[in-house]
Amino acid sequence: MPKLTIDSREVEVEPGETILDAARKLGIHVPTLCYLKGYKASTSCQVCLVKMVDNGRVVPSCGMPAADGMKIESETAEVHALRRTALELLLSDHVGDCLAPCYFACPAHMDIPKMLREIGDEDTAAAIATIKEDIALPAVLGRVCPKPCEKGCRRNSADGPVEVCDLKRSVADRDLASGTPFIPECKTDSGKRVAVVGAGPTGLAAAFHLRCEGHAVKLFEAAEKAGGRLRHEFPVDLPAEVLDGEVDVILEMGIDFAPKTRIGEDLSLDELKQDFDAVLVCSGGDTKDHAKDWGLKISRRGVDINAGTFETGTEKVFAAGNAIRGKGLVVRSVADGKEAAGTINEFLQGKPITPIARPFSSRIGKIPESEMPEFLANGKPIHRLAEPETNPFDLPVAAEHADRCLECGCIAHGNCSLETYAAMYGADPTRYHSERRAYVKVNRSGSVVYEPGKCINCELCIQIASESQDALGLSFVGRGFDVRVGVPFHGTMEDALGSTAEKCIDACPTGALYSARKR
Amino acid sequence: MDTIDLNFVDDAIERIGRGPEAVIPILQQIQQHYRYLPQTALRHVCAHTDITPASIEGVSSFYTQFRHEPVGEHLIHVCLGTACHVKGAQLVMDSIRQELKIAKGEDTDRDGKFTVQSVACLGCCTLAPVVQIDELTYGGLTPKKVPEMLHDFSAQAIRPAKPAAITAHRSGESIGEIRIGMGSCCVAQGSDKVRSAIESVIAQSGACADVKRVGCVGMCHQTPLVEIVPKSGETSLYAKVQADDVESLVMKHFKPKSLMRRISYSAEKFLDRFLSDDEDEPTIQKSINPREGSVCAFLGPQKHLATEYCGQIDPMNLEEYKRHDGFAGLKKCIEIGDPMKIIEEVQNSGLRGRGGAGFPSGIKWQKVREVAIDQSRGEKKYIICNGDEGDPGAFMDRMLLESFPYRIIEGMAIAAMAVGSNEGYFYVRAEYPLAVKRIREAIKICEQDGILGENILGSDFSLKLGIMEGAGAFVCGEETALLASMQGERGMPHLRPPYPAELGLWKQPTLINNVETYALVPWIMRNGSDAFAALGTEKSKGTKVFALAGKVSRGGLIEVPMGITMRQVIDDVGGGVANGKKLKAVQVGGPSGGCVPASLADTSIDYESLAEVGAIMGSGGLVVLDEDDCMVDIARYFLRFTQDQSCGKCTFCRVGTRRMLDILDRLCEGKGKKGDLDTLERLSHDVSAGSLCGLGKTAPNPVLSMLKYFREEFEAHLDGRCPAGKCVAMIEYKINSKCTGCTICAQECPVDAIPLTPYKIHTIDNDKCTRCDTCLQVCPENAVYVE
Repeated sequence: MPKLTIDSREVEVEPGETILDAARKLGIHVPTLCYLKGYKASTSCQVCLVKMVDNGRVVPSCGMPAADGMKIESETAEVHALRRTALELLLSDHVGDCLAPCYFACPAHMDIPKMLREIGDEDTAAAIATIKEDIALPAVLGRVCPKPCEKGCRRNSADGPVEVCDLKRSVADRDLASGTPFIPECKTDSGKRVAVVGAGPTGLAAAFHLRCEGHAVKLFEAAEKAGGRLRHEFPVDLPAEVLDGEVDVILEMGIDFAPKTRIGEDLSLDELKQDFDAVLVCSGGDTKDHAKDWGLKISRRGVDINAGTFETGTEKVFAAGNAIRGKGLVVRSVADGKEAAGTINEFLQGKPITPIARPFSSRIGKIPESEMPEFLANGKPIHRLAEPETNPFDLPVAAEHADRCLECGCIAHGNCSLETYAAMYGADPTRYHSERRAYVKVNRSGSVVYEPGKCINCELCIQIASESQDALGLSFVGRGFDVRVGVPFHGTMEDALGSTAEKCIDACPTGALYSARKR
Repeated sequence: MDTIDLNFVDDAIERIGRGPEAVIPILQQIQQHYRYLPQTALRHVCAHTDITPASIEGVSSFYTQFRHEPVGEHLIHVCLGTACHVKGAQLVMDSIRQELKIAKGEDTDRDGKFTVQSVACLGCCTLAPVVQIDELTYGGLTPKKVPEMLHDFSAQAIRPAKPAAITAHRSGESIGEIRIGMGSCCVAQGSDKVRSAIESVIAQSGACADVKRVGCVGMCHQTPLVEIVPKSGETSLYAKVQADDVESLVMKHFKPKSLMRRISYSAEKFLDRFLSDDEDEPTIQKSINPREGSVCAFLGPQKHLATEYCGQIDPMNLEEYKRHDGFAGLKKCIEIGDPMKIIEEVQNSGLRGRGGAGFPSGIKWQKVREVAIDQSRGEKKYIICNGDEGDPGAFMDRMLLESFPYRIIEGMAIAAMAVGSNEGYFYVRAEYPLAVKRIREAIKICEQDGILGENILGSDFSLKLGIMEGAGAFVCGEETALLASMQGERGMPHLRPPYPAELGLWKQPTLINNVETYALVPWIMRNGSDAFAALGTEKSKGTKVFALAGKVSRGGLIEVPMGITMRQVIDDVGGGVANGKKLKAVQVGGPSGGCVPASLADTSIDYESLAEVGAIMGSGGLVVLDEDDCMVDIARYFLRFTQDQSCGKCTFCRVGTRRMLDILDRLCEGKGKKGDLDTLERLSHDVSAGSLCGLGKTAPNPVLSMLKYFREEFEAHLDGRCPAGKCVAMIEYKINSKCTGCTICAQECPVDAIPLTPYKIHTIDNDKCTRCDTCLQVCPENAVYVE
């Protein structure tokens, strides 16, 4: 049996096995896109490259037979750089957004397309759960938010953005009015205790998310009622009963609420530090005036924190919201609360704290007018409602308007190998930025949709479809840079794939091939 | 759906076969017959053969030969080969499109009369820039000559066939031969017309001469070339002969002896002459003595092994080939009888593959020899001659195939014997119709003569040879892609191993060598490995055939011993840079090669020395560049070629070369960004390292070598300057005070960018100007300049 070394570790393989097989035996995670066990290695994507030490050749490990005495390098800076280049080149020719523009426009990074799909399916239970993953106060934000998400919406430049904010509010209002509002399931008790100082939007959101993680939370508030600046900043737009309603839902999650308690007067920060495993300072824009007395460092705008981690430099003590920013949108505060809760959660688990960073995403960018029709075909061709006539929307109306969504985000987000490895290898999708190919959806009215712009020519669907007698089959069409997968004789994707459709979709390493959404 | 007569398709299927591997030949037949691939015909093929729709779709969209839309009545191929590129092919292309009023994004004129296509290389580099309309080739074009060319073509197309000349009986014994080179480039320059003129003059006058077509003479700069070889006396060579010159030329050397005939002929001609006022005997001044002057310099440093007897023998005359030691090498091998001894001889000679990479041929042969096969299980070995020469700027293989078909067959037969193969194929690109025709004929003649087939020359060795035409894909020169193509697939290379020596055609052990490699084998066998090894350098033995073109005085096809310097080739053989310009660099090895700057002109031509300076031997294109050539533009030119020819399989080549090209495009348009050069360099290295096959691995070579030697020129482009004044986005045409107001430029300007202002200094409207260079060329006062 051939014996070889990968990164100086010896491994024995069966005759006929490849370097990739050998690496997997050693537990070395070599990324692959075009490779699928049981199929001919197409050796085309080249993200599985390894280096043969003896002759300096760089080869795709998936197709290279392992031979006795081979010396292979896999996890070296040189090999990683080449894999990264391969990923960056693929991304430079990738017409797709992993995450929709609205995701980035929303400070809380809510999964808006998912919420809209669920509303479209009239599944409000699922929709509220999706919303509350990121937004603890949706009914409030539904009224006070200046809707940055809608400014980012692709449809904004055509016939007006999707009514994201009103739809969200509609779901939240319906939820509040139901009598049994949605409360997410909290994890089992972690035994850790967190003091949250200030029950404004940041504090409420942080308390909510910390509770979800199973931590005990004591929420300190100088005023009588929770709400902070929400109590007075929006006298017209935000009725007290809506705020009360949403606050109650949060407090009902088992949060210990301590009103009329002022830090520095009733309690000192040192005492909190002693009694709790972590302290989050989020007592609003005027925190800056007291923070020095509490022994915290301050910056021009507020409490000084370590960028991206909310750490104040004082052990156990974190700060977020207007306490660090001076002033900001409510949605920014809600986002801070969520993000700080995530950071504190890591801290409590004894993990190293990962700074908040933008998630990886391929991005199409601005759509030229000429391409707008192809995008608009993804959504229902109805106009935006000027003002919601009834609030909440009638469900069918909500569903119809949610379907105005152009589905910019990728259906394979979170389940795409290209996205996964690009994030893992720190690939920069804009490194080889260039004029991109056109956005096209093939067979959009059928049951299987193909987006050539997301295809990496892995050949898997071609190979799988050729196995079946009932399928017309697929082939590569064209040559060079323009090669894409096509159906012979202008057939449909259904003709091409026959009974292998599902298998092909499962095998697709990106979001190029997928089942059409059932409406 | 188009309704067409499908009987032809049925016939083609019957003739070619029904297996999946028949797809390319069947499509070629359909394309030739209908001038495109009608959908009905394709469906018909699927219904009546084992060829799948997916295979048809994949194959027909891969090869450039195939078209899914009807083409115009006539096809115009504009050669964009290297030599043509540096001599302004793009301007010619633009001018043709403009003249025919072809809309942007279209390729056919509104009347459906002409379809314009670019072609990677027609292999007529010394006549650059070249355009082929159907079968007719036009060389030395400029935008200005385009209307004339189209007019000429239309005139030729409607001209009725000439009535056959009345033949007169020859008045006596032949007193000599008239040899005329009939390579493709000679034909392009009109040697076909010259030949028919000679034949008709002889027929009418009864002159005692034999007309003999010979292969390429190599002196492409002098074509059409006619050599008069009398049975006694001096040989005379005439250069650039035209049909009109023929008569006086024949009469000078072969006056009919019969007095009567002479008188009647003269009288007839006297009247002719009286009617036309032709200058007398214009050809005589073109007579050149092969043993002195430029011809001697051109031929002097050359060593003809692969091209032995070039210009002396009729390519298709088997007997003549035999008289010139033809098949003596094969006979010797049959006498030796021991394949190992043949391989040993090849190994000792130091012969390395002439296709580009320079792998030792003997070792390759040995490897194929060593693979054990079980004939009872239908296993066999194949031998293939790789004639898919597609490098722009190279036409050695075409010339060898056209001029020495028997020699290549002999080389293949010897190789087949050595490795134990009884079946072989030529893979020749379809753009070389004459080569295909001659090889096909030569195989047939050899079979009739017992040189191919069963029991060759009475031995127990048998060999069957066939030919497959490529369908327009440069990448098929890569051996694994070539095999895919022969098996009826898209020409996509695969990872090696497995190597063809183990798993080649139909998964059988296969020997693939280049045309020139095979062409050298008979000489080695006849003269011995020592004689071959005595030529060349320590590691690069023997000779190499080069296509010398570009800005050189005497371009042509040359065979020189390895180890000769670049300078010797340019100055001695090529007569230096043309038009008194300064040498800037020599591009060697085409799109896989690099350039050797003038400062390194003393580099020896051998595999190692060229690699050391960042070039490669490649298949043998030598394009001379002068001070007017922009190196960024040349780098872009080559990358555009490889990018266009990439099969599209692996990421580094498919996307990587495209991104490199994007950067070069930006630079040439004056839109370069800071950091572009570093990105370009880094990406070049990654594409080299990561690509799957030779095409991608070598594609960055031209860029890397240009960056190495001419980085300052790239930097100038970043600043928006093109020092050579070539990149149209960065230059403007202007007229200085030398202008006399003669209005010629205004009249010639194809886009009316110069207002007609008699007796006043003219001006150029730079918004209208397309930088076609016409005004600069026509100005009698040299008042037009580029800034």
